[in-house]
Order: sequence, then structure tokens, then C-alpha cells
Amino acid sequence: MSMLPQLLFTGVSIGSIYALVALGFVLLIRSANIVNFAQGEFSMMGAYFMVILFAGLGLPYALALVLAVVLMTVFGVAFAWITYWPLRDRGQVPVIISTIGASILLANLILATYGPSPQVLPGLFDGTGFLVGNVFMDSQYLSIIVITVVLVALQYLVFEKTMVGKKLQATSQDREMAALLGIPVVAMIFGTFAYSAALGGLAGILVAPILYVSVGIGAMIGVKAFAANIIGGFGSIPGAICGGFIIGIVETLGAAYISVPYKDAFAFVMLIVVLLVRPQGLFGERIAEKA
Amino acid sequence: MKLLEVEGLTARYNAGDVLKGLDLTVDDGEIVALLGSNGAGKTTTLRAICGLVPHVSGSIRFAGTQILGMKTAAIARLDLAHVPEGRRLFPGLTVRDNILLGSSNRPGVARADLKREVDAMLDFFPDLKPLQHAYAWTLSGGQMQMVAVARGLMAKPKLLLLDEPSLGLGPLIVQQVFRIISQIRERGTTVLLVEQNANMALSVADRAYVLEAGTLLVSGKPDALWNNDQVRMAYLGGLAASA
Ligand SMILES: Nc1ncnc2c1ncn2[C@@H]1O[C@H](COP(=O)(O)OP(=O)(O)OP(=O)(O)O)[C@@H](O)[C@H]1O
Ligand SMILES: [Mg+2]
Repeated sequence: MSMLPQLLFTGVSIGSIYALVALGFVLLIRSANIVNFAQGEFSMMGAYFMVILFAGLGLPYALALVLAVVLMTVFGVAFAWITYWPLRDRGQVPVIISTIGASILLANLILATYGPSPQVLPGLFDGTGFLVGNVFMDSQYLSIIVITVVLVALQYLVFEKTMVGKKLQATSQDREMAALLGIPVVAMIFGTFAYSAALGGLAGILVAPILYVSVGIGAMIGVKAFAANIIGGFGSIPGAICGGFIIGIVETLGAAYISVPYKDAFAFVMLIVVLLVRPQGLFGERIAEKA
Repeated sequence: MKLLEVEGLTARYNAGDVLKGLDLTVDDGEIVALLGSNGAGKTTTLRAICGLVPHVSGSIRFAGTQILGMKTAAIARLDLAHVPEGRRLFPGLTVRDNILLGSSNRPGVARADLKREVDAMLDFFPDLKPLQHAYAWTLSGGQMQMVAVARGLMAKPKLLLLDEPSLGLGPLIVQQVFRIISQIRERGTTVLLVEQNANMALSVADRAYVLEAGTLLVSGKPDALWNNDQVRMAYLGGLAASA
């Protein structure tokens, strides 16, 4: 009996996590030209907020989850205020360095508070899952896929159909012109940070039961999400989502058929292949610093 | 009634004043032209009015409000629209969405009403109607200029700033653009028009200012400027002499 359908299910689910984080990453590029190297740490923070609220304070899971996501939006605004706002007129590179600094700081803050040992978080549902054909639909993996699909669809609708979405796109394409039209560009950018942090945090909470919660989770997810963006085409929203799924599937299949210890390497092999064969990425135009 | 009152405006980017104590007024319902050679400070004047020049001093009153020092978006929300040099459309959005976003200074308006307004704007610019779902980056220069003006008008502005709307356009399109400017005034919109094409600008303007190196050289009615030798020689070109 082939393992393939089961592996694809797992791969799509893990890929969903990467897609969510990559989506938050690409939104910041698109709304404010910000390359945020602390995107993975958003997931780490989300998971640790959950550790505090659920494991620590003993709140009901659903309430803790909602609160953690709300806290992440606040965290996103604070993050923008500290790492981006003072450097907003200095170009891209200082902000990149500042986000790298923030990611190191956050990881060490967690390390100092919780130490290196991983924390355990339960999943969304108590039930373990059900069989469809010969594929076991684990409830956590399945809920990750469903939530991702819903969020992606919702975001598509917001971006393409609502006035706010169009204003966000306008802000990303020409910030000065957007301001000339009366669009509150600062609010748009801070809002994107808040949303991006919430997405990343949610991804961290969803993946926590699968990966354990530890300091390393941020860097691991961040790097995969970054790779997903390059594979999909830097700055492309559909590219980020597809890139996330591709990495999830490739590393799951690679781990099963080739080598488990090298699981994390497959994403990078994939990255190198794409850069050699199609350097602009699957959906991208060109990888070059935007003028 | 004075809609825009600029007094003693100085502006600089980094080194050296680009505007050196400029005085300028625009009355309600007027078309005022702002002329001058390359680098005279015309664009800087419009950008300073919109809060886009970092170092400014003096006074800029718009509809009774001191707007010098205010944020660009807040100034726009006082119903002042700017159609900037180079059109600055959002390339990855459709013509329709570009026009729609011109209403961003009026965030309270219902979406259904905005849709009707965009349709009305497309009636006003019939050339754009078949292009409404095209991405802005696919348009020709003249088409882009019309979208930029349409986007500016969607603000229902009390004052429309137009920066070189004829730049880079062929003679027929230029005539069309100026016809539109006249029609805009008939709709009751006040216009401050920056132009290199002084002949065309003076043909539609009620009054004009001529800038030179950041200061006012002369101002007055078009007739007076036509008859001013210094201005004619410097800014109106050979055509003016025979006109
Ligand atoms: N962003 C800027 N930074 C520094 N200097 C600038 C900037 N923009 C304009 N200047 C300078 O300010 C002066 C006036 O420029 P401005 O663009 O206002 O002229 P203009 O009258 O609009 O000219 P044109 O007809 O060529 O558009 C020029 O000397 C120009 O070099
Ligand atoms: Mg200019």
C-alpha cells in the first residue's frame, strides 16, 4: 500500500504553516517594502503567548488562542514602532538589520525566560482524527489546512474586493501618491504589521502540537518561509503561498523516501534548484532590489 | 473668496532655498497658471502645498486652515487634490481602481455611491471606458494622464493642483487635456495649473504667476503677460510674438 497520499496530506499541512508565515512576510514587503527577518519569531512569540495563557494561566484553549492572536497584533504594532518606525526614511537595509537584531533579541529573551527545553502545547481538538480511504486525517493537521485555506481566501477577498485592500495595494505601490490621495499610509503600514504578526503567531500556535515549542522554532519556520518566498517569487502573494506548500510537501516526501536527518536540507536543495532554473521564482518577475 | 493663500513661502530640500519667499493666491472658481523655466520651483511649490517638502516656512492657508506643517494625507482630506508630475498611477491596479482610489480623501462615502461616481467619471472620460479593467501600466502616456486627472477629480476637490498635464503628450492629446481643464472649471473646480506649455496654459487661465529661481518674476492676467516683453521672450517662446 502506497504511503504517498498520507505523506501528501502531512506535507500540505506543514506547508500550510510555511504558507501562513510566508504570507505575513510578503505582505510587509508589499505594503511597506520591509523585509522582516523576525517573521519566524512572530510564530515563536505566538506559541509562547499560548504557553503563558493556556499552560500558565490555565485559560480555556479557545479563549487562550483568541487572546494570544490579539496579543500578537499588539506585539506587531510594538514591533513596527521599535524596529521600523525610527528607520522608515533610511531605506531598506537599516530596517533589515534592525529586524535581524530584533529576532536575536526575541529568541534570547525566550531562552532566558524558559530555557532551552521545549514546552508542550495541545492541539485545537481533543479527538485524534479519522480515516478517509487509507489516509488518516489527523485532526491537528487537518485543522491547519482548513484554517489556512479559509485565511488565504479571506485575504484574497479583502485585498482584491474591499476599499481597504485596494488602499493597501496603493500604499505598497507608491506610498507618497497614496498619501496625496488622503490614504492614511502610516495606519496602513502598522495595520499590516499587526496582521502579519497575528498570522505568524497563529501559525506558531497551530504547529506547536506537532513540533514542540522551543526557541529554535522561530528560526526554523522563518527560514522556511523565506525560502518559500524565493521559490514562489519574491514579493508575490500567490508565490508565497505555493512556495510554502511546495516546501512542506518536498521536505515531507524527502524525509520519508530519502533521509529523515536531512529533512531541513530539502527546502534548501529546492531553493537552489529554483534559483538556478528560474531565478525570478515561480510567480515572480525578477529578484532585484526595487528602486 | 481666497481659497489658497501662500505667503512668504520658503522651501528647501537639503542645501539652498528652492523657494525664496513666494506669495501666491488662488480665488474660488479660478484657473491660475504657474509658469517658469525648468528648475524654477513650480513642482516644489505644489509639493510644499501638499506637505511633501521637508523644510518649509511661511504660511499656506487653504480654505481658511493653516496647512503648513500638516501631514500630506490630512491636507488631502481637506479636499485638495494633486495630480503630480509624472502621473504616478498605481501600475498594478486597474484603471477603475486607480480612479476609485481618488476618493480616499472622503472615506465615509458608501461603496455603491463610489461605484456610481466612477461610472460618471468614465462617462466624462469616454476614452477610458473601454480600458477600465486594464492595468494602469499598460496604458499610453495620454491615457495615463487622463486617468491621473480623473483620479484627482474623484476627490471632488475644492482645489485641483495639476503639474504639467501636457508633458510628453502629442499636440492633439494636449488640446484634449486642455479642453478637459476648461470643462473642469465649468464643473466648479478651482485649478492651480503648472505648465511648461505657457501658450496653452494662458489660453485657459484667468491669472498667471511666472516664477524664476524660486521668486516671483511677474503675475497678472494672461493679456498683460502676453504684452510683457521680458516674459514673452523668456517663457512664451516665439509663437507668442505672432499670436
Ligand atoms: N527632491 C529634491 N531634492 C533636492 N533638490 C530638489 C528636489 N526636487 C527639486 N529639487 C531642486 O529644486 C529646484 C526646483 O525644482 P522643481 O522641481 O520645483 O522645478 P520645476 O519648476 O518644477 O521644474 P520643471 O519645469 O523642470 O519641472 C531645482 O533646482 C531642483 O534641482
Ligand atoms: Mg516640475
